[in-house]
Amino acid sequence: METREQIWAAAMQAGRHGDTGAYERLLGEIAQALRGLVRGRLARLGSAAHEAEDLVQEILIGLHTKRHTWDEGRPFLPWLYAIVRYKLADAGRRLRREAHYRRDVTPDQWATLFEAPAQDFDRALVDLDRHVNGLPVGQREVVRALAIDGASVRATAQQLQTSEGAVRVTLHRAFQRLAAAAHLDRTKPTGDKP
Amino acid sequence: MSPVGDTDRLIHSLALEAGTGRGRTAFRFERRLLLVVVLALAVAVALVFLLFGVSPELTATVRSAPFHHKLASTLVLAGGGFFLVREAARPGGKGLALVALVPGMALLGWGGVTDMSGLPVMGGSGISVPICVGAIILVSLPALVLIVGALRTGAATRPTLAGATAGLLAGALAAAAYALACKNDGGLFVAVWYSASILIVAGLGAIVGRRALAW
Repeated sequence: METREQIWAAAMQAGRHGDTGAYERLLGEIAQALRGLVRGRLARLGSAAHEAEDLVQEILIGLHTKRHTWDEGRPFLPWLYAIVRYKLADAGRRLRREAHYRRDVTPDQWATLFEAPAQDFDRALVDLDRHVNGLPVGQREVVRALAIDGASVRATAQQLQTSEGAVRVTLHRAFQRLAAAAHLDRTKPTGDKP
Repeated sequence: MSPVGDTDRLIHSLALEAGTGRGRTAFRFERRLLLVVVLALAVAVALVFLLFGVSPELTATVRSAPFHHKLASTLVLAGGGFFLVREAARPGGKGLALVALVPGMALLGWGGVTDMSGLPVMGGSGISVPICVGAIILVSLPALVLIVGALRTGAATRPTLAGATAGLLAGALAAAAYALACKNDGGLFVAVWYSASILIVAGLGAIVGRRALAW
């Protein structure tokens, strides 16, 4: 009987040699295995369920981007676990930071949550820069390249050595995160400059 | 549009890249790192000559026993550092295998313990220590940049630790280069201050790695 290690290592190898189907199945199985794990982890951090799927995608992009670092002479699972652990720890730190930020919002600020945004364009730019800096590294690089430097998706993907699909997904998530941050930011008292 | 559907689409787009780009060839990190180390050492030696000039006693220095000891211990330490950096570059690599550093540390320590020269631990003059430590740190900087650059092509799952191993390697290479200009031959001086300089560079590497090696 073949173990998961053998099956996945073989699929990874096949992917390396251009077997799109085997690689797609492998990523699908890994995603399935990750879902349960990630949901459990995030639930303990009190974070929303949709974050879990985001994190699963982030891990998949990470292992795809770094797939060249798996050495065929070494076991596959320890390599995979190390990447998953790294991405989980990274997300954990980020979520704890954000949770802390959420707790910092006072009831008064919650009350002004839905007020019209300030019309101060310069300040908005400064805030945008600050929010962009608060993004995870991968998302920050993509936003900087696409939205600030004005590079194309293809050029960005090449520069970051990842796929165009991954760039699009990353950008989409970065925007969600920025929108959430801008939303929270409006609730902070004025004069609270970065 | 369900999030899981999004993931499936993502997987499909990623899978289309199977067998393309960097995923096609085996990752020859060792070879790249070896090249980087040779380059880093060359830059460090050039920097030492630039900072201190080519001393007329150079030929006498390179024939002396203290120089051989400095060179051997720092290069053996660099060998251990090479191994640590290599493992730090791959997910699932061996953790901090400190045993790799034992030979180099033992050589440095041995020089200190068996130091019969009677030369002071603070060196020949009041500025020996700051010059030695300062020079090793300064000379290590290009090496550190090069090694961290090489690590970025890998995937460090512990960026701070990986940065520290890069600093250790860079520091050991810089110390080996600095031995060409070093005027302090006391074994104790070398054991204490070379080690301290290398540790400082390792700390610097940890700080750099924390940000530069995150992905």
